[in-house]
Amino acid sequence: MTGLTQPSSDQRTWNLLRIGGVWRWVFALGLLIAAVLIWAGVLFAQLSVPVRVLIGVVPVGLAVLSAWGGMLILRRNRKGRIISLILDYLAFVVCLAVSLQRLGVFVGIDGLAANFGRGLLPLLGLFIAYLIAAQADRFQGKPEVQERLQTIGKWVAIVSAVIFLLSVGLLGGLWAMLQHLLEPLTLIFVLLTAWLGFMVWTVGRGPAAVFLRTTNAQTEMLEGYLFLSPNFLGFLFFFAGPLLLSLYVSFTDWDAFGNKNWIGVENYRRIFNLDIKPLASPNQPLTEAMDATRYDELTRFRFLGKDYLVGAEDKLFWISMRNTLVFCLLAVPLSMIPALLLANVLNSKIPGMKFFRAVYFLPSVAATVGVAVIWQWLYNASVGYINYAITLGVNFLNNVFHLSIVDPQMRWMSDARVALLAIVIVSAWQTMGFNTVLFLAGLQNIPKELYEAAIVDGAGRWMKFWKITLPLLAPTTFYVVTTTTIQALQVFEQVFVMTNPPGSPNNSTLVLVLYLYQNGFQRFKQGYASAVAWVLFIVIFIVTLLQFRAQRKTGAYDV
Amino acid sequence: MNRKMFTALFAVLVIASMLLAACNTKTPTAEAPKEEVSLRWRTRPDNQAEIDVYQKVSNDLDASLTNIKLTYEPGGSESASYQDVLKTEIAAGTAPDVFWIPGTDVADFAKRGLILDLNEMAKAENFDTKAFYPGPMAFLTYSPTTNKSGDALWGLPRDVSTFVLYLNLDLINEAGAPDPRELAKQGKWDWAAFLDVAQKVTALGPDIYGYGANAWWGPYGVWSNAAGGGFFNADRTACAMDSEGSLKGLAFQQSLYQEYKVAVPYGEDSEPPFMAGKVAMFQNGRWATPGVRANAKFNWDVVELPKGEAGMGNWLFWGAYVVNAKTAHPKEAWELVKALTTAETQAKISALGTNIPSRVSKEALDAFLTFTPPANNQAFLNGIADANKPTAEGPLWQGNWPDYVTVMDAKVNALMTGTMTIEEFKNTICAEGNKAFGK
Repeated sequence: MTGLTQPSSDQRTWNLLRIGGVWRWVFALGLLIAAVLIWAGVLFAQLSVPVRVLIGVVPVGLAVLSAWGGMLILRRNRKGRIISLILDYLAFVVCLAVSLQRLGVFVGIDGLAANFGRGLLPLLGLFIAYLIAAQADRFQGKPEVQERLQTIGKWVAIVSAVIFLLSVGLLGGLWAMLQHLLEPLTLIFVLLTAWLGFMVWTVGRGPAAVFLRTTNAQTEMLEGYLFLSPNFLGFLFFFAGPLLLSLYVSFTDWDAFGNKNWIGVENYRRIFNLDIKPLASPNQPLTEAMDATRYDELTRFRFLGKDYLVGAEDKLFWISMRNTLVFCLLAVPLSMIPALLLANVLNSKIPGMKFFRAVYFLPSVAATVGVAVIWQWLYNASVGYINYAITLGVNFLNNVFHLSIVDPQMRWMSDARVALLAIVIVSAWQTMGFNTVLFLAGLQNIPKELYEAAIVDGAGRWMKFWKITLPLLAPTTFYVVTTTTIQALQVFEQVFVMTNPPGSPNNSTLVLVLYLYQNGFQRFKQGYASAVAWVLFIVIFIVTLLQFRAQRKTGAYDV
Repeated sequence: MNRKMFTALFAVLVIASMLLAACNTKTPTAEAPKEEVSLRWRTRPDNQAEIDVYQKVSNDLDASLTNIKLTYEPGGSESASYQDVLKTEIAAGTAPDVFWIPGTDVADFAKRGLILDLNEMAKAENFDTKAFYPGPMAFLTYSPTTNKSGDALWGLPRDVSTFVLYLNLDLINEAGAPDPRELAKQGKWDWAAFLDVAQKVTALGPDIYGYGANAWWGPYGVWSNAAGGGFFNADRTACAMDSEGSLKGLAFQQSLYQEYKVAVPYGEDSEPPFMAGKVAMFQNGRWATPGVRANAKFNWDVVELPKGEAGMGNWLFWGAYVVNAKTAHPKEAWELVKALTTAETQAKISALGTNIPSRVSKEALDAFLTFTPPANNQAFLNGIADANKPTAEGPLWQGNWPDYVTVMDAKVNALMTGTMTIEEFKNTICAEGNKAFGK
């Protein structure tokens, strides 16, 4: 019997694979038509010609791959199956997303909140059904009772499910979907999705793999990529895609409302355009030294007995760059060194230590905006608790020791000389807890035998810390330095919330991310903001690269 | 039913229902007749009480406007980046049909084609734009094509506001200083009298201040205006912050911070110390009234700003309801804009106390005056009275307001905190500021 059916099963598999092979050619033809439409400006008409040419290359490349895959399948080559599965799976995901969009699932997501709640009560019926059915287990010796309970449970579940679906809008939803389906384009996408799903099933199922003698390694690879695909596609569409889009936007003057012109490197030229002019006298006005309609004064300096003036076409970019770097230089050590010391203290085994660990970690889990608002109040020069404490301290010292210390009456958020420092303190305070936990984990990985051996050798506390703890913490330290630096270079929330207007006083807290936000979302300059974002990306990349190189040079210990 | 089956059924039901619920955006109870048009509208409220009033106004209008179904969306407050969110929604094509924007933003929105010119519809029905304060209407009817007012209509003003000084009467009495309200009645409320009161109160203690104002263009603008200066030249095409009047006003303001030290340090939020009873005169607009009513634990009232050489120099702040250029229902949106700015609607909102009506209507103004405290509500109306020549907050049709205000804010900050002299300010402000005008 088996011998008789085997050839017909193989024949059916081969027939389906042949359909898959021909489909690859149809798929390739479709992609080539898409490429021509892109190049002709029918699709992506709003993009410039060079960009359209570049984008059009992608479907052409995929078309070649698809045609090749089709040829391989028809030659019974297993590589053709892999190519076919990858292309059809990707196309299936894209078509499914487009179909759902056209069916109104994504745009109607507000309806979810409005309608879903109505089904919560009937949903309880399902739990009741489960409880009834579960009671059947208690009547092991009475099969008729068991059966009856299971039947009741089943019907309660069915009735609840029907009521639930009707409550959340089964009829309305189906009707809405049907209405959308009547639109020709939606119907095409839905049918295409179904077809692609069928092709993935056809080529991907076991008999096809056996027929083409697919190896176990290839099957495992495909399964691995399948499990990886949600994350990988998410990265591609929601991270890499916008990243590349912002790179493109940085070469335009896009204002976010459809007005977009390709301007090449103009945004970058404006960002980096500096002019240095020698001055006749140290106080010579900018208007006399350089073109004041183009440049703003950035700084003055004296070199080899001569005064110079530095002008910038975009002064605010350089100010924000300086502030960002200063912030980073201060915030990183301030959030690391205390964290390291604290971790050493919290690493000891004394009662209640877990409580303190949690307490120090709390600022890290608190919402940045909430923390910033509280600190804003604490910093208030007139009614803030910090100045109040300083005044009490000064008065105490003056009264007890008969000193005449002047109360500094710090203007934390309104003095351009200290505002950035105030934000550094908040940021360091908030990051310190997280860094402490990282150091603590690193400390607990250091073998205790090393300390015991050191004690035998007569090492004191300081020697143990300097010669054992610090070197063996190097991998953790490297991780903490790198992540804290990146975080510091991207500082935004604290400045945005704590300063009013953001970046004040006198631009002393204007940082790069805030500056790009202001350009992009307040001044309608998305193109320029994107260019600033890319400059920041390059700065972060260089700093991180330098840190990696320094790490390699030191040859840090790895526990 | 075993556990596996239950879990599978539950998962399938939840996924199916989510898809169906998302598709089915209409709720059964909200079924509307086919000819009815749905409109979304938004304002920038300052507090929950204001949101409640606007919601009630929306419900009333929903009932009275035929074939229009309204949905009111309270936007975030100013500190919650109302404009940034709105602009992002406009870019995404999801902004409401009608929304409020501040007067300074009108030019930018109009020039970029984000809001509709309602002039044709208004002219077709002889709509009377003169029923509103003329200052805002001059800007709202300005056409960037013909470069003159009266040739366009970008919206209608929701409300107007102006600065007053919120007074801590207990502090002023304690200092033995004259009552500013009495001085104002006698016509003696000028800069000298203001400084005198501020100095007397400041003398009460090291943490007591005679005057407080927040660091933005509004407060420093009035000192310049009152001295005969201003932000722009006559046709608003260039910087005028280096004019004699502007510098005179700024020099006086600087003296309050640096020479006499009677003011809450520049850049510090003056509201908390005022609420804590440590500031005698807090300069702010009508929008601060609900907060003072709720939080002040002392006797308080308001008084108009003191007069300088060129008068009071006050602002006439305003914002407008405008129509989204991408609305599918422009005619209905225009109906809504008109309904939101009738005397009746404005009277309802004025009764809350936050807004001064933008329509010169006795009904609306009477409703405003009934809202006490403050007892001296007339101070607000004096601030915007024609006789006191208020300067209407306005958009820049030839220039970039955000760029200009960024330059001004930084320079004035340096001036008020003593890191820049008035001479340095004069030499640099317009060289940088004029770039915002493309010069």
